[in-house]
Amino acid sequence: MELLVLFVILILSLAAGLLLQWWPGRHHPMPTYPQRAPFLGGGLPDTHAWSRFHVRYYPMALLLIAFEMEMMFMYPWAVVYVAQGMKAVMEMGMFLAILSVGILYGWREGVFRWQ
Amino acid sequence: MAVSWLARLAARAPVPVFPALGMRGEEALYRLALSPDIKRVDSPRHASLLLVAGGVPPSMQQALRRVHDQLPAPFTTLWYRSAPLVELPQAAVTTVDSLDALPGALVESHGRLLRNTVGRSPRLLPDAPPHPWQGLGDDGHGGEGMMGGVPYGRPMAMPPTADLRDGLALDILTFRLGPFFPLWPPGFEAEVTLQGDIIQQFSVRSSPFPRALAPVFHEARERPVAIAVLERARARHHLQALFHALHLAGLEDLARHALRLADTCPSGDIVLLAKWFTAFERRLRRRGFFVLHLPKCGALRKKQAESQGGFAARAAGIERDVRAEDDGYRRLAFSMMTQQAGDTRARWRQRLAEIAQSFDLAARAQRDDMHTAQTDAVETPRGAWHDTRPKDTSHLLEDLLPGLEWGEALATLASLELAALSPWPREEPAETPEEGAA
Repeated sequence: MELLVLFVILILSLAAGLLLQWWPGRHHPMPTYPQRAPFLGGGLPDTHAWSRFHVRYYPMALLLIAFEMEMMFMYPWAVVYVAQGMKAVMEMGMFLAILSVGILYGWREGVFRWQ
Repeated sequence: MAVSWLARLAARAPVPVFPALGMRGEEALYRLALSPDIKRVDSPRHASLLLVAGGVPPSMQQALRRVHDQLPAPFTTLWYRSAPLVELPQAAVTTVDSLDALPGALVESHGRLLRNTVGRSPRLLPDAPPHPWQGLGDDGHGGEGMMGGVPYGRPMAMPPTADLRDGLALDILTFRLGPFFPLWPPGFEAEVTLQGDIIQQFSVRSSPFPRALAPVFHEARERPVAIAVLERARARHHLQALFHALHLAGLEDLARHALRLADTCPSGDIVLLAKWFTAFERRLRRRGFFVLHLPKCGALRKKQAESQGGFAARAAGIERDVRAEDDGYRRLAFSMMTQQAGDTRARWRQRLAEIAQSFDLAARAQRDDMHTAQTDAVETPRGAWHDTRPKDTSHLLEDLLPGLEWGEALATLASLELAALSPWPREEPAETPEEGAA
């Protein structure tokens, strides 16, 4: 019963919110394309002003994850290492080998060169 | 009921006006800036009224239609000494020819617009996107290879020009700005290519409208004129230019102050004016106009400064001023001032120093009733006028602006005077500014 009441309240408040948004603008059509164009003092843009750029922090972020993942797993690993013995060393070795491929890739891409 | 009450309230507020300046329309702008009933806005999106001041050549009418259609409905238009666009209905057009009647006409049009629905300006351009979507798929996501779609016909960020700042490859954005862009000289239109906020290419598409000077500069080419009148007109011209730079810097109160000083120039007490100007200069310094708003960039090379002439040349260390060769000025012990750097800041330092010098010269010339001696050349605020008038030099920007950030470029543009000199003098108000009513 409580769930039903909560559901009805949710529906009512959603409806009220949508009505509040729709009511003031019900007689206003969307502004025309020329009005929505960017103001350039009478000039025209060649293209949309949706500017994209090369994310330069991307390789740096990948590198951080590569190193951080190592550390994250090595803490719990250090706890179980004595109990598990050689098996744990091999598993960790495999894990580190996979991650180091990422670091080598980063190295090749020049992430260690400070610019 | 509520709406009519709101409309009445809105009609009492300052009228938001976007001025589109045509030829010889600046006077209207200066009048509006000082009118308390008018709120001049820099974008048509914030305006209820479009004021077209001055003649608009046929080649710019399409641009005017675009500006017109960017005002949010309801709005109306007012034409000051300009021919309205033919497709506008008669009811949506008010024409005014007198500068004094302009603020009143704007307030009245605004009131009429809010009270009833007649006189509302219609849309002139078809409701179609200027650059339709050209990508594949709903979001332009389809396409070939890793580069995905070509949204709005634009490939991925691979700028053809070398990056000018830090190697960050941004999309290039090419657009044409003007001729009604309020932060540029009227009539000036350029194609700008930006990468981020750095200007990569700048090409002038239409020069600014010729600038009209006070009649005294034209008279000085025909007969000796009173040096006091000439120097007052020069100071006024520079103060009006300072208004634009201060407006650009966002120092609105100082901009209006500069304009009020400019309005006092033709007839005010010259000693008082000089004193007010010194105090005003101190305020400019305290508010950080030079340090914060004038970048040390946009320096003219020697050859460019020579072709530009006038205060811009003197700010670059070139000692050239026609006044130094005039016997009238020599008797007043005129001494030429120069700066060395030739950049935006140096140009404004030079200009402000020249305003102060003009007030000083005018005060002494007025006392001794001095007149100019030579008529074959006159030093206008735009540069020396020998046999030919100073010509348009807006092409300098194509070399000067690339590499600058957008804000620096606007400040550099505002520090220069690039428009040619109009062959006709500016129309002065009825009262003659003779010899200063001290």
